[in-house]
Order: sequence, then structure tokens, then C-alpha cells
Amino acid sequence: MKNRKIELLSPAGSFDSLQAAINAGADSVYFGVEQLNMRAKSVNTFCVDDIGEVAAICRANGIKAYITLNTIIYGHDLQLLRGILSEVKKHGIDAVIASDFAVIEQCNQMGIPLHISTQANVSNIEAVQFFARFSDVIVLARELTLKQVEDICSEIKRRDLKGVSGELLKIEVFIHGALCMAISGKCYLSLHAQNSSANRGACTQNCRRSYLVKDAETGDELLVDNEYIMSPRDLCTVDVLDRIISCGVDILKIEGRSKGADYVFTTTQCYDEAIDAIDSHSYSPEKIEDWTKRLSAVYNRGFWAGYYLGHKPGEWTSQPGSAATEKKIYIGRGSNYYPKINIAEFTIETGFIKPGDTLMVTGPLCGMVKEKAATLVVNGAESPKAVKGDKITFPFTTKIGWKDKLYKIVSVENA
Amino acid sequence: MPKIIHYRNKCIGCNICFELQPQFWRMSMKDGKAVLLRSEGKKDVYILPVPENDTRQSREVAKACPVNIIKVL
Repeated sequence: MKNRKIELLSPAGSFDSLQAAINAGADSVYFGVEQLNMRAKSVNTFCVDDIGEVAAICRANGIKAYITLNTIIYGHDLQLLRGILSEVKKHGIDAVIASDFAVIEQCNQMGIPLHISTQANVSNIEAVQFFARFSDVIVLARELTLKQVEDICSEIKRRDLKGVSGELLKIEVFIHGALCMAISGKCYLSLHAQNSSANRGACTQNCRRSYLVKDAETGDELLVDNEYIMSPRDLCTVDVLDRIISCGVDILKIEGRSKGADYVFTTTQCYDEAIDAIDSHSYSPEKIEDWTKRLSAVYNRGFWAGYYLGHKPGEWTSQPGSAATEKKIYIGRGSNYYPKINIAEFTIETGFIKPGDTLMVTGPLCGMVKEKAATLVVNGAESPKAVKGDKITFPFTTKIGWKDKLYKIVSVENA
Repeated sequence: MPKIIHYRNKCIGCNICFELQPQFWRMSMKDGKAVLLRSEGKKDVYILPVPENDTRQSREVAKACPVNIIKVL
């Protein structure tokens, strides 16, 4: 962990993303296990048995690990909750991120450090003071303005509010990633439409679709300026990060446990550089432009600065899915590694690659690595093209295996 | 005979199957996931043959499952 005042907290939805976050300079990561986290529906959710490995990886790399247990908890979840918490305690996970009082109570009983999740919608100093009895970090609601964040931070110092550990209470805010059309975590749209509760980590993102408004009597469709009337753009604060930091916050969080290792790497790296630039007084418009360009290349729905600047809400996206300027196309999997000569072999399962293509490898050991393939070695000989069934080899410093995936990066216009 | 198939691993413990069809489902107090009563299974895939007149309701349960891990064949 770097010796800096601000902590950069990155999402780790898989071992690939975890390693990508580490490589890109995260100070800490958060992850979820089983069904008691807000990304329960995500393909790569960790299980209870992974807690030890995640803890070991983070410890070996000198970063902190936080576990999210922030869904609504039902009676039938309590034993699972206790099981997860005893593993958390055993493996020394640095803190639990929670909003349900059952989790808060259990953590306090077991002496596990606690962060209050944004799901608790903490929006004022009295709420902060209330939760200070149970926790060390409060993740503020994402709907506050910078002035409100600043007021809370300065009031914590004025009141000398201390957390359970005895240290001054820390404040965490989101700086990048998806926003919710509802107040964070208070949406039942997905449940009403598809019986799939966002508050159990199974949001089906109905807000992200396009809608028409129809007069049921006449059948006339009403004109809507933008069909995506409920889908907010993604939060991006790289151009106002200096103002966020000067509010007095301690931890900056990036959203995105369901997103790929490339997103985690790029967002973490950009914000890591931005924090350091602010520290060294070299934060400049040119750098901001470069970071914004890099952030635009990975998954995003178009950017806005969220509620921080007090702008009127209604910055809706105008398209389905991502507005990223680059696209990753799956090509194949790792099939062999020659450690003595550091050569990786990948088998192509779909598509093709040519010399000059930018390749991306994601995997549990390498995280995310991008490389331009100047030449292409196919089945042992240099070749102008590699297609399905071919084995390609290239120098690669990290050991790879079948869990490592190979992608081709193309700009969206060429996709 | 028709059968219910439950791919248990991806269950998020939402409770809806038990709510709609308590004669076939329970919530496990051990791991918080749904249990298909009297079913047989391995590797997290559980199968229960059901009488023909239970299939309509079972299909409703399958439709209601937010993670689509219940099938009626």
C-alpha cells in the first residue's frame, strides 16, 4: 500500500479483476461472496471458500480487502451470514461493508471492523454520528453534493467523531462507475417487472432499457426526446477529483464488480495517477484529458459528474449498453506456458488475429495485460493470420493457464 | 412423469419458490438457498418427478425464479 493520505478502493468481482486492481495501484479492494452481496447475479461471484485466498493475495500485495455483505438479510440467511463472518474473522479480512442491522450487530459481537454501505443512504451528520457507534468508515449516499460531503467531513472533525477502533471516523465516496435511477439501493423496479430484487443483488436493470409512452385509449405513441428515460450516465469525477479530495474524504471508491478486468485496471490506474498528481501538484487539464480518453475506452454509459456539482438530475444515457470507444472481442483461451523461456500459448476458439492487432490477456495471475502483436507466431511459424483452431505463441512474463482469456481490442468504429 | 429440475448453485435465496409452492420447496437454514424437497441430485442439480396436475404451478414457480435456475420438463 502506498504511503498516501487518500485510499483508492477498487472492485474485485473475480480473481482476474483482483489482480488487475493490484497491478493498477489500488490501495484496497472490495469483493462479495455467495448471494449476500449486491452483485449476487454476477457470473463470477466468489464463494465462501475463496475468502482465504482473496485475503492471502491482498496481504501478499500489501493492500486491504473488504467484503460486501450489503443485501437485505432474511431469516433463512442468518446461518450463512454467521458462517461467512467466521471465515472473515479467521482470515483477517480488513472490514465488512454492510447496511442490514443483522450484519452490523453480528460484526460488532464478533469484533469485526465494519464499514456502513452506501445502501444505508447516510446523508447527514446525525446519521454519521449514529453509525459511528458501530463502524470505522461510512460510505456516504451517492446523491449528495460536494458541499454536503464537505460539511459532513468537517463536522466529523469538529465533533471529533471516532469509530469503533478509536480513530477518527473515515468517509468514503464513490468516484466512478454506474449510478442508479433510484436512490442507491432503494429501487424495486426490477422486482416489480421481473420478480428479481435489486436489494438481493439481482437487479435486471430495467432502467437501462428504452421505453415508449403509449396512450392506451387511442394507441398513440407519445414522443419522448430520449427513449432511455431512466438510464443515468455513469459517474466520472476525474476532472473534479481535486475538489472531492479537498472535501476531506478518506476513501475513494470505484464501482464495477460485474465489469471486466480491463475496466478495473484502466479505472484504477487513471484514478491512482490522478490522486498522485493532486498530491504532487501536477494535476493539469492535459492530464485530465488523457485520463478521460482512457476511461472512455472501457465500459461506460457516457459520463457525468453525478450529483456532486449540484447539477440538475436527468443526465440520461442515449444508448443501450456501453459507450466505450474500444471493444474487446473474445478470441481464445490459454493452452500452455513455457516457464523457462516465458512463452505463452493460446488456442484460438473464434475469430481471427493479424500482426499489428492489440491483444489483451485477462487472468487470475496476470490481471489484465495489453500488448500489440508486432509479429504473429502461429503453430510455431510466423504467419500473417491466425484463425480458429490455431495455436499462437508470444513472450509473456506471467504464467498463464486455461482460465486466461485472450481478446482482440478494436476501436468501436471498426468493430 | 414431468419433473422439476433445480440448478441450486446459482440460487440467491429470494424465497419466491417456497412462497408459491411450499409443498415442494423450503429455504435451507444452513446456506440460505432453496431446497427442492424429496429431490435427488448431485453436483448441485436436483430433480424431482411431479404429478401432471402440479406442473402448472411448478411452471409458474420456474417463471418467477429471478435467476432462472428452475426448469419444468
